[in-house]
Amino acid sequence: MNDMRQFERDVKMTNTKITARSVNVHYGDTHAIKDVDVDIADKTVTAFIGPSGCGKSTFLRCLNRMNDTIDICRVTGLINLDGKDINHKSVDPVQLRAQVGMVFQKPNPFPKSIYDNIAYGPRIHGLARSKADLDVIVEKSLRRGAIWEEVKDRLDQPGTGLSGGQQQRLCIARAVATEPEVLLMDEPCSALDPIATAQVEELIDELRQEYSVVIVTHSMQQAARVSQKTAFFHLGHLVEFNDTDQIFTNPQDSRTESYITGKIG
Amino acid sequence: MTTLPFLLLILAVIVGYVLNRVAAKTIRDGGNRLHSMTSYHGMFSALLILVPVLTFILLWLVLRGPVIDGMVMGGLPDGVLVDLDSGGVQLVLAEIKSVSRGQVFGTPEDWKIAAADRFVILHQRADWLLIAAVAAISLLLMGFARSRVTADFRARQGVEGIVSGLMIFCSTVAIFTTIGIIVSLTYETFRFLEAVPLTDFLFGVNWEPQIPLREDQIAAEGAFGWLPVFLGTIVITVVALVVAVPIGLFSAIYLNEFAPRKLRSVVKPVLEILAGVPTVVYGFFAILVVAPAIRSLGQSIGLDVAPNTALAAGGVMGIMLIPFISSFADDALSAVPQTLRDGALGLGATRGEMMTTVLFPAALPGIVGGVLLAVSRAIGETMIVVMAAGLIAKLTINPLDSVTTVTVQIVTLLIGDTSFDNPKTLAAFALGMMLFLVTLMINIFALRIVRKYREAYD
Repeated sequence: MNDMRQFERDVKMTNTKITARSVNVHYGDTHAIKDVDVDIADKTVTAFIGPSGCGKSTFLRCLNRMNDTIDICRVTGLINLDGKDINHKSVDPVQLRAQVGMVFQKPNPFPKSIYDNIAYGPRIHGLARSKADLDVIVEKSLRRGAIWEEVKDRLDQPGTGLSGGQQQRLCIARAVATEPEVLLMDEPCSALDPIATAQVEELIDELRQEYSVVIVTHSMQQAARVSQKTAFFHLGHLVEFNDTDQIFTNPQDSRTESYITGKIG
Repeated sequence: MTTLPFLLLILAVIVGYVLNRVAAKTIRDGGNRLHSMTSYHGMFSALLILVPVLTFILLWLVLRGPVIDGMVMGGLPDGVLVDLDSGGVQLVLAEIKSVSRGQVFGTPEDWKIAAADRFVILHQRADWLLIAAVAAISLLLMGFARSRVTADFRARQGVEGIVSGLMIFCSTVAIFTTIGIIVSLTYETFRFLEAVPLTDFLFGVNWEPQIPLREDQIAAEGAFGWLPVFLGTIVITVVALVVAVPIGLFSAIYLNEFAPRKLRSVVKPVLEILAGVPTVVYGFFAILVVAPAIRSLGQSIGLDVAPNTALAAGGVMGIMLIPFISSFADDALSAVPQTLRDGALGLGATRGEMMTTVLFPAALPGIVGGVLLAVSRAIGETMIVVMAAGLIAKLTINPLDSVTTVTVQIVTLLIGDTSFDNPKTLAAFALGMMLFLVTLMINIFALRIVRKYREAYD
């Protein structure tokens, strides 16, 4: 009950973008997410931390209904985006995913040119009326992805030819190109070296100006560096959700404390 | 008697294995570190005996017959073979052999009976000699292998060397067979081109492979222009691909991306059964079901349809090719990483958009590979067209007409009593050569296309 009061205070402080209430996820017989309530604020970076298999990625994938693509996965509970139920049958998951973009753990550029990678989303959603429009979108997205300077002379070369860090920033730029309102990032730096990680983290901080960003991470340092709010997941439960400073300096739950001090996980 | 050398060999291999293994184990138990595991020492000995001795036995068995024949014929009394041509000599040899087996017809001359006895004795001697040789060589190799067992001996490398040698041999068997086929085809093709000018063959538009039986026969001047035959092959191949490529591709796409798991687990095996149906059965189907149906349908709308149509043969061939294309395409689509699917879906692509814009281009090389295999099968397919397409070569691209194909002509040229020294028969080899060249060119061409347009995802 202590947690609930916490939520109410947050809601008053900022605009809430996503509200989740008693969300449960089952994979076949496995109960992966148990009764999770969470409010994700707009123009904020929210970090999900927790040990492997605690359900943080699964929960993230509920937010843009990527779990629909897995046959055995069953999601119950209420998830509202701007006050509208995203699991309502009138909502097209395809349109939802254009609104709630996603960046994956492993960089996954399409085997196409850098230009076509970025133009992919705008093309399928008809965001550009002309080639010139599309050029503008591509440049803007690549600039937001902080990779424009590195690739502007080779837009026609395959995106798969870039280095790992560049590929991940390309994927972020690709997600940004569809003009989403929320950006979900599933361990975006786990396949990157420290320099590329620093670049991506800097990028996440800039993206906060325009988007609500939700990031799943294994690295507590990363959560502390990039996020304003942190949620700690353990064995499918949302154990604690609070301002990042609070979580790391003054955790309320003993499990959170054990995790951030390295005793469990 | 021939099984005895093999039994001996197996025994030697086992003994060699155990001997070396035990020897290596003794060294290890004596406190020395072995370079290789004891089983490698055993394997080294076993392979060292197996490979050369087996080769020796097989060579011996192949060469034994001709050598003994030669010795028997060489030992015949002077003068008995003087008047005989090569066929007569063969007959004498055959008679000696049947006498040696106890099948005596009439009363053979004494020298034939003597020769038959000699034949039997030589065979017995050869068998004993083989056994002795196998035993001797095996013992020699066993001793050699045993003498190599030391703590430092690199038995593992030895085994790997022998095994990789065997693998090289196996992989070159196919290459040498191909070269052999090309050489024999080329030889016969040149013999054909001595009788028929190359330009007549390549650019002639008439295919009437008759040759005069007598010098003064009327109206039997043959024509060997391959174009109408080849055009028939192209027509049937195109019809087959028009049927097979869309059906195969769409079924692969559906099964891979859209079908419920249960449906997929039923449909995929059924599609693969289609690949296992013998082509002669497809031939029945074409000639008894499809051809009459096409004919009556065509006539009911006022079209002139031949009883044997390219459409029937090609269409049924297309059905046959569906599993090739669908299983290749399915494999290629399945091989595209899940992360690419997630990426496209995560950007708000529908499954259809994901398929056409991401999966399909990424899977293109595999898909083209399947189509290519289907083309080769269609060009080379014989049974269906023999049964369902016609025999008369016409220069037409009308699929409702009766056409003939290169393979059908090869079959009709080579069945029955044929002599291998006239252009009618040799034409089959020339056609085979052209078929080989055409499929080769298609393969090279398609590989280039794939290399140019592929979207590599690794």
